Amino acid sequence: MSILMILFTFLGGITLSAQSAINGTFSRKAGTIETTLLTFLSGTLFLAILVLFFGQGNVLAILEVPKWQLSAVFLGVLFLLFIIAAVPKIGVIATNITVIIGQLVIGIVIDHFGWFNSLVINLDMKRYFSLLFMMIALYFIYKGNKRSIEEISA
Amino acid sequence: MRYISYILALLAGAVLSFEGAIYGELGKTIGKLETSFYNFFVGSIILGLLWLFFGKGKLSYAVKAPKWTLLGGVLGVVYLTSIVISVPFVGVGITMVAVIIGQLIMSMVIEHYGWLGSKKFRINKEKVLAVISMIIALILVY
Repeated sequence: MSILMILFTFLGGITLSAQSAINGTFSRKAGTIETTLLTFLSGTLFLAILVLFFGQGNVLAILEVPKWQLSAVFLGVLFLLFIIAAVPKIGVIATNITVIIGQLVIGIVIDHFGWFNSLVINLDMKRYFSLLFMMIALYFIYKGNKRSIEEISA
Repeated sequence: MRYISYILALLAGAVLSFEGAIYGELGKTIGKLETSFYNFFVGSIILGLLWLFFGKGKLSYAVKAPKWTLLGGVLGVVYLTSIVISVPFVGVGITMVAVIIGQLIMSMVIEHYGWLGSKKFRINKEKVLAVISMIIALILVY
């Protein structure tokens, strides 16, 4: 069962890459804000159906939760806007690697300080090494991308 | 100029972590699917406003564009749903590692073959090394 779940999540990652590639392509003709708007609109429609059939929570509780929890929507919007702006310039892989690094670094910081009621996980030796490897990855992807672009323009 | 795109991508990732942490809390109150719905719904409103005031492109292109280029929104939902379903079974750590590895490998394939309309960039040594370093970093985090 859990192997199946892992494969399923792996597929989730694949769709995320496909999404950034497709959105990058669409934005070249339609524009960054337009592409983001379309992604959000069509996502809303699909989620409306999913919530109707499979939703077990309570959407209306939105009115009672602390407002800071609702502010994350601005971050969601920024996330897609930034990605759609970056993909046409630096390509799918460089964008994705860089995004993941940003995500992990902040994730480690949030864990370390236990912000937003999250579990406190201290920055230990393993995590320092992990940060080091991320920096190495960032360096390689920048180099590798620069080389591909030079090869194409040469 | 390219630097700016890297900085934007780093910020996108940073923003995603904050978003994830905050929505984790919201999800406890209103439910996970409902949280995604909230994000997409209110996000559409914000973007509708942004588009009205700052949109310079052509939204009408959506009508004549090849239909597959419109799939971005659905794919985002597939991604979210796969995470929501698997976290309770295998935990956040393994879920994130599996998602990210899937994402990295697929990005490489897409770019190498120039699939889905992306620019075709050959895979080179540096890119493979970057992906390997990322996988090591991931395993160390979780």
